[in-house]
Amino acid sequence: MSVIELDRLEVRLGGRTVLDGLSGELRGMAIGLLGPNGAGKSTLINTLLGFHEPARGEARVLGLDTRRHRARIRQSVGYMPENDSFIGNMSGVRFVRYMAELAGLPAGEALERAHEALFFVGLGEVRYRNISTYSLGMKQLIKLAQALAHGPRLLILDEPTNGLDPMARRRMLATLQEIRKEGSIRMLISSHLLRDIDETCDEVLILKDGRVAALCNIEEERQSHRNFIEMETTGDRDRFCEALRGLGCECACFAGGHVKLVMPDRIEPRDLYVVASENGTQIRRIHRRRDSLEDIFLRAMDAEPERRELVSL
Amino acid sequence: MSVYKHAYRAYAGTLTPLWARVGVVVRYGLAEAWSSRITVGLFTLSMLPVIVYLIGIYLANNPVARMIIMHGKSALFTIDAAYFLKVLATQSWIALVMTAWVAPRLVCFDLADNALPILLSHPVSRLGYVLGKFIALFWCLSLITWIPCLLLFAYQCYASTAPWMGANLQVAFGLLAGAVFWIALLSILGLALSSWVKWRVVATGIIFAAVFVPAGVGGIVSAILRTKWGLLLNLPVMMTQLWQRLLGAPEFMRGENSLPDAAIAMVLVLMCLVCVAILNARIRAREVVRG
Repeated sequence: MSVIELDRLEVRLGGRTVLDGLSGELRGMAIGLLGPNGAGKSTLINTLLGFHEPARGEARVLGLDTRRHRARIRQSVGYMPENDSFIGNMSGVRFVRYMAELAGLPAGEALERAHEALFFVGLGEVRYRNISTYSLGMKQLIKLAQALAHGPRLLILDEPTNGLDPMARRRMLATLQEIRKEGSIRMLISSHLLRDIDETCDEVLILKDGRVAALCNIEEERQSHRNFIEMETTGDRDRFCEALRGLGCECACFAGGHVKLVMPDRIEPRDLYVVASENGTQIRRIHRRRDSLEDIFLRAMDAEPERRELVSL
Repeated sequence: MSVYKHAYRAYAGTLTPLWARVGVVVRYGLAEAWSSRITVGLFTLSMLPVIVYLIGIYLANNPVARMIIMHGKSALFTIDAAYFLKVLATQSWIALVMTAWVAPRLVCFDLADNALPILLSHPVSRLGYVLGKFIALFWCLSLITWIPCLLLFAYQCYASTAPWMGANLQVAFGLLAGAVFWIALLSILGLALSSWVKWRVVATGIIFAAVFVPAGVGGIVSAILRTKWGLLLNLPVMMTQLWQRLLGAPEFMRGENSLPDAAIAMVLVLMCLVCVAILNARIRAREVVRG
């Protein structure tokens, strides 16, 4: 089942087109939403929540149209906004209970789930303290707790590790990984930190200037470039490269004896040593490299949005 | 060991109907309002005039008590529309003080820490949120206006030896309608002005200013232009005239200073519309995180 479907979605704010014809279907358990500042990530989230009306096209969340089923979408979604957003003079448990009741849980159930959610995110010991006394990390966690308390089917997290120290960030990512492992909640995580997305998501939507720059399954994308090799060589490098090209490799030479190549499937690394030996070249170091999310992101940023074929989709 | 499970589990229970979410906002709003000792203190103070008026009705209807306490003087205690106008006016101005204290508590805490994006990401609309806060404030003000007023009316009906109620039903209607108009206006005005600022103290000041500053300006306009229409900016005068007409009490401003009903109604409706526009603009502006 698709989590989010976008069909030529266009959103205009203040006369400016912020999202321009987004199309795509997101099906992953945890979907990363990447893009530079101003790419339209928060606007897309707000549109999915029904805060912004699409000017053209449509968006569906869990099969529900954002125009017609706003209340039902909000019922099924837990949202953690980017900035501080809470009621400071309420205790943690009261705030989470309030949000759970607003989401439709009966008062008794809401209280029970509020306690559970607070223990789950690690705020169990401070749940009776006023939120205004919480640290920045705790404030992030209370937002996560309120998003989880009513048992949503989709969790939308806008910059969940924003402003966290390394330890708090690790704890937040571990919690998100645990939620993903539990399997009943899909996640849409917006971030500009590639490592956060890399560690938690299996699918990524990259936006650039309000358009889809890339939409891919991270693991598949990595697999598709599994034969990317970096080498350090000495000797007749040009002859060596020529021979590699003869074998069908895509090859590029750099200063200092560095060679980068993409091997076809039928070639094994062992063959490289044979070719090197035949051409009087020594391979001093060989490194088989997997594509990182950073590579995917940078390729997407380099590609023209209109020419999406440059990006592996 | 904690009694709560630390692992996440999905929720599979029943959900409340959508319309009930407004009730959640009302309930939490009331809890917020009454969590303050000052609110309780104001409510207690607001009951003092009611007790005084209750004693007045008791004395008016009890010749023995009147004889003992007042030595038979009864002129001060004629229970009629004018008497209940005093009750309504007293309670209504206490309601203004209550509004200035409670309305900012209902809104400013949500705005101060930017809670609206989270609140409105739940299945409750802007209208539902405002309606919930409005009902909470309206209910708080009801406790000190039309409810005690009608209780006093009921006591007068019970205590009067003559058949009093049948001849004075307009008073009961006037008490109810006059108080409801006033507290509805105060509620919407209080919420709108509280949504304008983040700080409660400032909001409290602005609510008083919104009632009394235009009154002063209206007075100046009336004096300079020698017209009665400046009184349309004077909310206390306008409301007093409205209450007098609703209760059927004698008017203290007759002739050229008397404002037509249509003009009063138009100004009140206009004020409400402006407040609704302010609320809509302020809440729409704060419902999403601007990034």
